[in-house]
Amino acid sequence: MSTGYADAAFTNGYQFTEGTGYALPEYPFVEPPELKTGELRRYPVVIAGGGITGLTLACALARQGIAAVLLDEDNTVGVKGASSRGICYTQKSLEIFHRLGIYERIAAKGIQWSVGRTFAGKDEVYAFDLRQQSGYNLSTQPPFINIQQFYIEGYLVERIYQLGTVDLRWQSRVSAFEQGPEFATLTVQTPAGEYRLQADHVIDATGSHSPFRQWCEAGVTRRQGDDRWCIADVRFSTRPPIERHTWIEAPFNENRAVWQHLMGDEVWRIDYQMAPDTDAAANSREDVVRERLERQFGTDVKIEIVWVGPYAYRSECIDEMRHGRVFFMGDAAKVVSPFGARGGNTGVADADNLAWKLAAVLKKRAAPRLLDSYHEERHEAARQNVLVTNRTARFLRPADGAERLFRSAALSLAREYGFARQLINTGRMAIANPYTQSSACSYNEHGGVIGPGLSVQNVSFNWADGSEGVVNDLLQWADGRLLVLVFGALSAAAAQRLRALGLGWPVCSVQVLGAEGSAQAREFVRDPKGHLQGACHVFGHAWALVRPDAYLAASGEAVDGHLLQAVEKSLGMRS
Amino acid sequence: MKTTLNLADADAFYEQLLDVHGGLTREQSELLNARLILLLANQVGDPQVLKDCLAAARQRLE
Repeated sequence: MSTGYADAAFTNGYQFTEGTGYALPEYPFVEPPELKTGELRRYPVVIAGGGITGLTLACALARQGIAAVLLDEDNTVGVKGASSRGICYTQKSLEIFHRLGIYERIAAKGIQWSVGRTFAGKDEVYAFDLRQQSGYNLSTQPPFINIQQFYIEGYLVERIYQLGTVDLRWQSRVSAFEQGPEFATLTVQTPAGEYRLQADHVIDATGSHSPFRQWCEAGVTRRQGDDRWCIADVRFSTRPPIERHTWIEAPFNENRAVWQHLMGDEVWRIDYQMAPDTDAAANSREDVVRERLERQFGTDVKIEIVWVGPYAYRSECIDEMRHGRVFFMGDAAKVVSPFGARGGNTGVADADNLAWKLAAVLKKRAAPRLLDSYHEERHEAARQNVLVTNRTARFLRPADGAERLFRSAALSLAREYGFARQLINTGRMAIANPYTQSSACSYNEHGGVIGPGLSVQNVSFNWADGSEGVVNDLLQWADGRLLVLVFGALSAAAAQRLRALGLGWPVCSVQVLGAEGSAQAREFVRDPKGHLQGACHVFGHAWALVRPDAYLAASGEAVDGHLLQAVEKSLGMRS
Repeated sequence: MKTTLNLADADAFYEQLLDVHGGLTREQSELLNARLILLLANQVGDPQVLKDCLAAARQRLE
């Protein structure tokens, strides 16, 4: 029976219509060597979970030639069991995907947007254009691309197959786990039977229902509200503008909030705020959803419902992102409501953060202690994302009384006064989180340059022959090593020190010149517009120590002992 | 946070504060107060002063 609509179970099911939904790829179960020969093998890295986070990590490790195993319980992407799958990918995520080699496919399939408008009632309260904001305009990637999460996951899978080295094991569910001083042991259930494998490092990317939390007795800080939402992914006969529209009080939704966003394949995501503690099943019925859509878009517009998914607002944050050999990432580490696209994007950043550190430690380029900085950096990001989304949630679902009163006050002032528009919180878009307390970053103590711990945008510059390059090209050239960019002329002694640094340490140095001037170092590029310097947050004669995840580890002026100390620190070799 | 008088004419301000609520329902008065707090907070700006004022306003209410 095809109704054009699959009944949404309110178990956070991700279900597609029979006739009009998506055809998801299926990947084959291949009998692993453990089942064929019965031998027990040990792997340097085992990743549990093949969602966007686990696959990003697997792809990043594959690029570094690390032989990892990824276990996924399903045989496809776009899996069941996840609520509100992501649609909106930040510049930082896009820069990461560019490095992994799938950005072009995402750009071709997805929708670029930069304009957001916020309405209350019939009035527009404020609008923004991210392209006009200085934080976004230097990168070669746009501020955001909207695309269904499973497309990115599918591209990652194909890229991992292409790269080899990482073993993707489908229909493989981890059913038991234990760890000791020597290794961790995982029990895996498959269609061909059960087997065990050993791992030096285990990555939990199994999502919000992570079994590892219990196996590791991990503490989790939780917050659950009564706010309920219902997503409808739809196609229209006439298309709305390619902008992010948000209603705080939508007349067509009983004065509750509504989101409107375009994805790939001309599918729109319309996200409706429901009455508190509403019955998710009843509100997700096709006739109810259709009536809601007609109230917003009119009865003339032909609407095809692709997917419906209700969800409840909640936030969760694990207290420690590392438990022995286990590293928690993505939704397994923290769950936030979707405001500002702070879920999937931070999972991608978690993966990118750990990937280079794991690769550096496994290649003996860095000390094992570097892995502790994963918690320091990404837990700060997780806490920040929980804080920011909780504030949005509180604005969108104010408690009766003072909270609602102040929202009314802010909304009424926002129509007239610019300052009050900043109080209207319909979601603060995700950014590349800064790391302010990392043992792997060298902070400049005396004020001065503010930069270490910040992301370096994928800006363009000119190679020595005049052709254009981007930061990701430099990182690819450095191939998992640290990158030292030295801006301006070099003394003979400084050039000598850089050469020595490159011989003793996993460091690649590049001199960065303006449009004119001759190079003293063997490797040099030109930065005529100063974009590279701006991206590194330095001014004048300076050096910038850039990590493989395009974060600034340290910066300074003279090429001296401070640079060497910063290199040691960013490799976990100095506290 | 200032705790000594900073108003040029305290009695006149107090009178204006009462008058501006004239003829409003209780609900409208509450909204006016909330709008006023946001407007004044933006004049103050300083986060520490605002934090101190919030704490002082809350004191001895329970």
